[in-house]
Parts: sequence; C-alpha cells; structure tokens
Amino acid sequence: MDRLLVVKNGPGPFFVNRVLIAVFALWLCVSMAALAQNSAPRLKANAPFSIQATHVLGLPNTKNNCNGTLSTHDNLLQFQQSGQSVAQIDIASVRDVFLGEESKQVGGLPMKIGKAAAPYGSGRLVSLFAHKQYDTLTLEYVDGNGGFHGVIFLVAKGQGELVTKELVARGASSGTHEDQPTTRSTSEVAHENN
Amino acid sequence: MKTTKRNSWIFCVAAGVTIALALSVGLAGQTATAKSSGGTSGSDPQWSVQVERIDPGHMDLAHSFQVAIYENLLEELAKTKRFKQVLREGDSKAGQLPNLLILKTKLVKYTRGSETQRAVTTVSGATKLSVQSQLITRDGNIVLDRSVQGNVRFFGSNFRATHNLARNIAKVIKQSEWPGPRRLARNSPVNPDSGRHTSPAF
Repeated sequence: MDRLLVVKNGPGPFFVNRVLIAVFALWLCVSMAALAQNSAPRLKANAPFSIQATHVLGLPNTKNNCNGTLSTHDNLLQFQQSGQSVAQIDIASVRDVFLGEESKQVGGLPMKIGKAAAPYGSGRLVSLFAHKQYDTLTLEYVDGNGGFHGVIFLVAKGQGELVTKELVARGASSGTHEDQPTTRSTSEVAHENN
Repeated sequence: MKTTKRNSWIFCVAAGVTIALALSVGLAGQTATAKSSGGTSGSDPQWSVQVERIDPGHMDLAHSFQVAIYENLLEELAKTKRFKQVLREGDSKAGQLPNLLILKTKLVKYTRGSETQRAVTTVSGATKLSVQSQLITRDGNIVLDRSVQGNVRFFGSNFRATHNLARNIAKVIKQSEWPGPRRLARNSPVNPDSGRHTSPAF
C-alpha cells in the first residue's frame, strides 16, 4: 500500500488500446503537419505565381468585370483574359495594397431569370444561399507621369492574402492593409456628417 | 373591301414613318441645343480637369469603393467631352495646362448595403452614396458645387453604386454651365455660395 511504484510484469489489459491511441495521435499530428506544409504559400522570389481573378475595374485597355488570370512575372503584375492581350503593372509602382471582402450573388443573368420565374417567391430563398464570398484586392499605383491609378480584383476567398504577400515579396513599396468590409449581412448602417 | 384594307394599311405605314421622322428631327434639335448650351462660349478655350481622389471624411468607406468612384469618374468625365483633357491626381502634365479645373469629391453620406439582402427582400439592402462635388480653379474659385447621389437598390453588385454615382456626377457637370477661362479671368472671383445647388434625385 505504501509503495509509490508498482512494477508490473505483463503489458496489462489496456496496453493495446493505449498503443493504438498513441499511434493514431502520432498519425494525426504528422498528417496535419503535412497539410499545413501543402497549404502554406510558396513565396520563392522568382517562382511564377498565377491565380484566377475577376478584374472589376481600373486596368487600362481591359474590360470591366471580366475573368482572367492574374500572374506575376519578374517585376510585373499581369492580367490576361483568355485570348486577349495582357495588361500589366510594374509592381515597384504599387503604393498600397488593400485586402477586403465582398459577397456576390452567383449564377449571373440566367440565375436571376430563374429566380424571378420561380413560383411563390421561392427564388428569394435560393438567393439566400446562392452567394459566394470573395476577397477584394485593391491596388493603388502611379504611372510614369505620377498619375494615381487604382485597380480592383476579385479573387477566391483566401487567395487575396497570397497575392498581397507575393506583391510585397516582389517589391510593392508599401505593406498591406485590411480594407473596410463593403457588405453587411443583417442591417444597414447609415453615417452622416451632421 | 380589299382596296379599303390596303388603303388603311398604307395610311398606317405612312403615319408611322411621319411620326418617326418628326421624333428624330425633334431629338436632333434637342441634342444640338444641349450641345450649344453645354459648352463654353466659342471664343473661350476649353477647360481641362484634374480629378482628385475621394475624400471619405469621417466615413469608413472601403478603399475599394474610393478607388472605384475615382476610376469611374475618370471614365465618365472623359465620355462627356466637356473637357479638353481629363487628368489623374498627381499627373505632372497638370502643371503645364493653363486652363485647369480641379474636381474635389467629398463623401457626405454612406449606407452600406448587401447584394444578398437586396436579392432576398427587394426593399432593403440598398447601397447609397452621397457626395459633395466641387470644381475649383487653381486660384481657389469654386465654379461648381453640387450634391450628388448614387445608389443601387435592386439589381447589381455594391460596386454598381460607385458607377451610378460617377455617372450622375458626370451628368451634373455636363448639364451645368460655368464661365470659360477668359471670362472667369475678366470677372471678379465667383462667390462660393452662388454656385451651390442640390442635384435632383436620380
């Protein structure tokens, strides 16, 4: 009764369970570490970087609200629509990068027509679920004459941060900022000066 | 019977053609009037304009919105053909232009909206923007001072409000009259309060 240590000769009745739990825990740790490694951004200085994005506005000679590929090559940020010419910005001329969020209804015009045609106003119910969160990427840069430009891209949620890191790594002169959210899900807030 | 039908058919077509012609002539006349009243006087040189970035004041307007208003303004002002050149803020070419107006835009009121809310409820979730726009000469004379709104109430993304606002500002500028550079130089400085108006609701 007074002995602190009890020496056991056999493995005991729960030994197998304990081993199994330990192995499972080890496997969980290893797989999580592997996952984290995979999802971490690869920010090699000269590695090509390319994602799908929507150009909202701002790039010269590029249509507004068009989809394309946003990529970096050397010191240039490029946006290319499929089959169109490339629009590019010198990354060194980027003064500020703002990252925000935007919720958009998906499906475009066909979805809108479908929702309008749905009986008993059930289209509204569809609208409740048919939206998607995007990251808004706002770049402010200056041209050769010193003129101020702004460009806005919509990228998939989570990718905005990767782009901003990539831009900063490639020489965008300022750090990134969190942009104010442009949407509010429940209530409107009005602000007045007076 | 057949002849009567044919006659009435010919009469209808003729009437339609006459009405279409009359309407097109009327519209052309209106456009010509608008053009003559919209521009500055013939001898006066045309103004150029430099667009400044949006001043958000105390509002927490997202930078994406500020940039969207600024870029849309540049686009819409160029469309009006009211100015010789439309320059961006910081453009070094502005220093060489003799007749330059500066467009300042200050945010007065902002209501955040939600596209989903608009799609679900129809009546709520509108994004509303209200700004004070001023056209100012280099000397600080205010030649135009207007309050303009831009909203998106039913369809479209929140950025649609910035496009509507820029379009409304350009519309107000296109429809307004102000003295040309020579006339302004001859006259005494414009009283800042005299040009203050509120634009009609769009």
